[in-house]
Amino acid sequence: MIVTILQFAIIKMPWIVFYKFLIGSVMVMIGLSLLLQGLKFGLLPVGEMIGSALSKKGSVSLLLFLGFLIGFAVTIAEPDVIVLSSHVDIASGGAVDKTVLIMMIGIGVGFFILISFLRVILKVPIIYILIGGYLTILVLSFFSNPNYIPVGFDAGGVTTGPVTVPFILALGLGFTYVLGIKNTSDSFGLIGLASIGPIITVLILGVIYR
Amino acid sequence: MSEIFIAQDFLHLVLQTLQALAPIFIIFIFFQIFVFKMPRSAFLNILKGFLMAFAGLVIFLYGVQIGFMPAGKIIGETIGANPHRWILIPIGFLLGFVVTIVEPAVRILCKQVEDFTTGYIREKTMLYTLSIGVAAAVALAMAKTVFGLSLVYILIPGYLIAFILAFIAGPTFTSLAFDSGGVATGPMTVTFILSISIGAATIMEGRDTILHGFGLVSIVALAPIIALLIFGIIYQKKGGNLER
Repeated sequence: MIVTILQFAIIKMPWIVFYKFLIGSVMVMIGLSLLLQGLKFGLLPVGEMIGSALSKKGSVSLLLFLGFLIGFAVTIAEPDVIVLSSHVDIASGGAVDKTVLIMMIGIGVGFFILISFLRVILKVPIIYILIGGYLTILVLSFFSNPNYIPVGFDAGGVTTGPVTVPFILALGLGFTYVLGIKNTSDSFGLIGLASIGPIITVLILGVIYR
Repeated sequence: MSEIFIAQDFLHLVLQTLQALAPIFIIFIFFQIFVFKMPRSAFLNILKGFLMAFAGLVIFLYGVQIGFMPAGKIIGETIGANPHRWILIPIGFLLGFVVTIVEPAVRILCKQVEDFTTGYIREKTMLYTLSIGVAAAVALAMAKTVFGLSLVYILIPGYLIAFILAFIAGPTFTSLAFDSGGVATGPMTVTFILSISIGAATIMEGRDTILHGFGLVSIVALAPIIALLIFGIIYQKKGGNLER
């Protein structure tokens, strides 16, 4: 952090921007630590409670539904997702609306959480889903508006952040309890799969807005 | 300095953050009423947590908006307009390294891998490998912007390598590796480094802002995947046992 700031003081000049950058960094640090504290006391226990509540009386279909819903709700609260969408909104001069993009990313994550739950139920090896997912992406990228390709891939990268990861992990843990799975490798992979979803939904958006 | 605080922007941000947190809050309230039925004090504690997270998110986003995004963009534009624009590549490398080595999520992952391989893969080894991997990825992404390469030409070989490695490494490390893709793409990467590449793409002739500016996050996400898979293969080759 400090190294970065020094770097810019040496290389570049505009002072107002630099002051704002310093104030911005302080705000980012304060904001981030406050957010993490809040997550620890607020959202994380909720995630764990929902996970364990599901493990007690969960039916599979309810779990699939909640997987989608929570995946969506958590993703649209992810700071990186919001920042990326603002970048796109500004860079495209408003052509790609921020809210639409955030919603699509959220739906993508929700949908792929549902798919990865199904994967565990049907005992499909993770590599098939990964390859299938990326093949879908490859095919879609031929039909999609080329501008949406980098945006889509970046969306896949930002979905995993401080808000989503603990929540999804807690959910996955509750899920493996419901099914009585003991194999640890089955509860992993949830987050990796979740990042495929947004790429697909954003590319679909690109096919629509061709 | 009065332009630092713009009330209208701030209000807009507050509304946007409310919108972002509302769904998860509604789900929580629903569960509280029908499932958890927590006592009042526990419920209030969680509300406090939500409130903190809300305030934190607003401050964070505002800081990004006034500080990181414009500064990153100007840096990108300044270097992009310069004939020696290739210096974006080493700068990207340096930034990628620094940002990764201080990222808490990366440290947690490295510790997990150390525990997982019962100390065979050291936390420090993993941390430095990952940081260099991410640094190389950021440098590559900057090169993409500078030379106007298509993202697809980087991602397709990248994922092909990852898939081939995944077949060798086996399911456990594959899940772990693909899960870890996101750890390196922390808040600094998206807010700051991405702004630089967008700025550079905006100013350079013949470069489309979106087409050449974005894509950095996805390249960075590949680095930990490949690094972990390689570690997984090495570990198994040396006779490491995955059953715990």
